[in-house]
Amino acid sequence: MVNYPEIDRYSALDSPMHRFDPRAKIIAFLILIFAVVLLPDLKLAFIGFIGAVLFLIASKLPLRFALQHIKWVFLFVVPFIVIMPFTVDGTEIFSFYGLTMTYEGLEYGILVAVRAISAVILVLPMIATTRFDITIKALDRLKMPNMLVQMFMFTYRYIFVFVVEFQRTWRAMVARGFKLKTSLYALKTIGKALGMLFVRSYERGDRVYQALRSRGYTGSPRTLVEFQMHASDYIWAILIIGFAVSLYVIPFAGVS
Amino acid sequence: MVHISDGILSLPVLAAGWAITIALLAVALWWSKKKGNLEEEIPKLSVMTAAFFVASLIHIPVGPTSAHFILNGLVGVILGIFAFPAIFIGVVLQAVLFQHGGITTIGINTVNMGIPALIAGGIFKAGCGGILSNRNEISAGIFGALVGGLAVVLTVIFTAVALIATSKEAFFEIAIALTIAHIPIIVIEAIVTGSIVVFLLKVKPELIGSI
Repeated sequence: MVNYPEIDRYSALDSPMHRFDPRAKIIAFLILIFAVVLLPDLKLAFIGFIGAVLFLIASKLPLRFALQHIKWVFLFVVPFIVIMPFTVDGTEIFSFYGLTMTYEGLEYGILVAVRAISAVILVLPMIATTRFDITIKALDRLKMPNMLVQMFMFTYRYIFVFVVEFQRTWRAMVARGFKLKTSLYALKTIGKALGMLFVRSYERGDRVYQALRSRGYTGSPRTLVEFQMHASDYIWAILIIGFAVSLYVIPFAGVS
Repeated sequence: MVHISDGILSLPVLAAGWAITIALLAVALWWSKKKGNLEEEIPKLSVMTAAFFVASLIHIPVGPTSAHFILNGLVGVILGIFAFPAIFIGVVLQAVLFQHGGITTIGINTVNMGIPALIAGGIFKAGCGGILSNRNEISAGIFGALVGGLAVVLTVIFTAVALIATSKEAFFEIAIALTIAHIPIIVIEAIVTGSIVVFLLKVKPELIGSI
């Protein structure tokens, strides 16, 4: 029914991406993701795609895990590949029953898909190679506003609690004969189950706050993790950012 | 499906999304500081955000496919102005934990879901006075359903506008297809939101009246 977030399931492996300082990793890959997403040309987008795959290989994440996380973006880009060749005006490839497939539409559709998939691939070496709580701490060191950092920490932590809690509610509903269908009755029942989840979370929020207060919580996080930049971190950061910049310099250098 | 992926939108649309998101986050932050009790607000708000996040992971069968809840109308009704930071956290976590939506589109996706949440919350607050005081369940349910449906309608419109603003020529038909595909989701969200509002009115009325 609902699943745990398992993005950092393989964060304990050892690879250059796992050893990469989380702060530098986030900055470098964010720059590269923005660069890849805005590429104007299909050839460059393919170069970006190959780069993304190479960084994924460098992270040594299992292929199955990677594909599981990449597959969702296909659902979003498939309509673009299917619809755009027929709706964008341009050079005709072929036509049948009044539908005209154009070269420009096909090219634009593929460009969108390649950029979207490359970006998702790059998220994996960025996020899946570090324990997620350490990623949040890295965001704190990168001066993200304190309120948001803490919201990330608490929200991430309680997602697991509520997944378990909702699974238990769900099991109880099914045990009493509830069947999930697209019917008014089923939807109303789900509404009540969700309502209960919100009531519980509201009450729990109160208790969490009291418990935190009694342990001396003042609204600012303290972390035990210390980050340190090594020579290899600088090299990787320069490599990734250099790749991002070169995607925009190559066309002007006349290579492509 | 309303989280737009990376690689589709143009730079001006992405930049506008980030600018509006950062501005509204700053307003929410400023507002909560003015109210004073930030260290009390954060844990409570985060726990509620986690509950909404888990609710959004639930998949509901819609004919041959399935859809998942957005519930941004309800977030607006329960959290008020804090709906915006809560939705921002949700959008970021969806993008990094499950790869639903994109990294560069965090800004525009937060706008597309967060502003309708604020509007829905505002309308509910403006219209709920009588409903909450005499605990009229039927009208509360209908009103909740309208607000929940409206939030998704606005979200779909915002998403379509973001696509068309990127390239009217290339994305117009896709925006139309996206809108049509969301009609059943609008109905489902309306029914579920209405049912949750009725439930909360019976069990925990302070949840929908206090903030």
